[in-house]
Amino acid sequence: MLLLSRFRISGHSMEPVIKNGETVLVSSIPYFFSKPKIGDIVAFRKLEQVFVKRITRIDGDEYFLKGDNKKDSLDSRDFGWIKKKDVLGRLIFKF
Amino acid sequence: MKNLLLSLIKLLPVSTAYAHCDVPCGIYDPHLAQMAAHTVIRMTSLLDDLQAADKIPFEERKKIISQISRLTKVKEDHAETIKHEIRVLWGDYFKEEHLKAYPDLHNLVFKIMKLSSKARQEINIDAANQLLSAVQEIAEIFYKTKNVKPIRVKSVYPTGLEIISYQ
Repeated sequence: MLLLSRFRISGHSMEPVIKNGETVLVSSIPYFFSKPKIGDIVAFRKLEQVFVKRITRIDGDEYFLKGDNKKDSLDSRDFGWIKKKDVLGRLIFKF
Repeated sequence: MKNLLLSLIKLLPVSTAYAHCDVPCGIYDPHLAQMAAHTVIRMTSLLDDLQAADKIPFEERKKIISQISRLTKVKEDHAETIKHEIRVLWGDYFKEEHLKAYPDLHNLVFKIMKLSSKARQEINIDAANQLLSAVQEIAEIFYKTKNVKPIRVKSVYPTGLEIISYQ
């Protein structure tokens, strides 16, 4: 979990909301007060990398994440459900 | 105040987060793998058919050796094409939902890799025919995942065997 972290986005899968090269702010603080919900854009760890995708389904403590640009996204359709412990935080700001 | 906050935030180190993607074409097709499998069968048959008398002039031997080399190269190349095309479908196109619907998919891909190697290593028409059958199975699965009905049609190739298309 990240209290506050800055990430530069590499890739097109969250377009048009987040474009390639943009910088975003991610924080775990919102999840101190509520659980992740469908529609949240989250950063998570998978394959030893950090990814940014949107939660589209929730099953207990596991999340199914998809890119908004569904024709152009490597996401839960490829690597399956993501566990809560791998969710680093919610996107709270875009520069 | 807002500017001060933004300035402080910008002091945070920046890491990379991937909104990762593949090339956004979404164009996949099992047709090339099928054509290549037919080619492997054809090359194997032509190699099988080559004949030479015991004592033939050197010039004639050279022609036959050249022919064997060319047929073998094409067989090698097309067996490799099958491996490449199937790996692309397997690695880039097929997703977990497809594996759930077709749980034998991994085994089928593995079988194609092994049969492709066998067809390269040997002049083995049985292996070449089995390779085509396995590639056709993948083609059928592929079209089903596209929600179209796969059909078997007689090819116009010299093999006279079928290809999988769709309605």
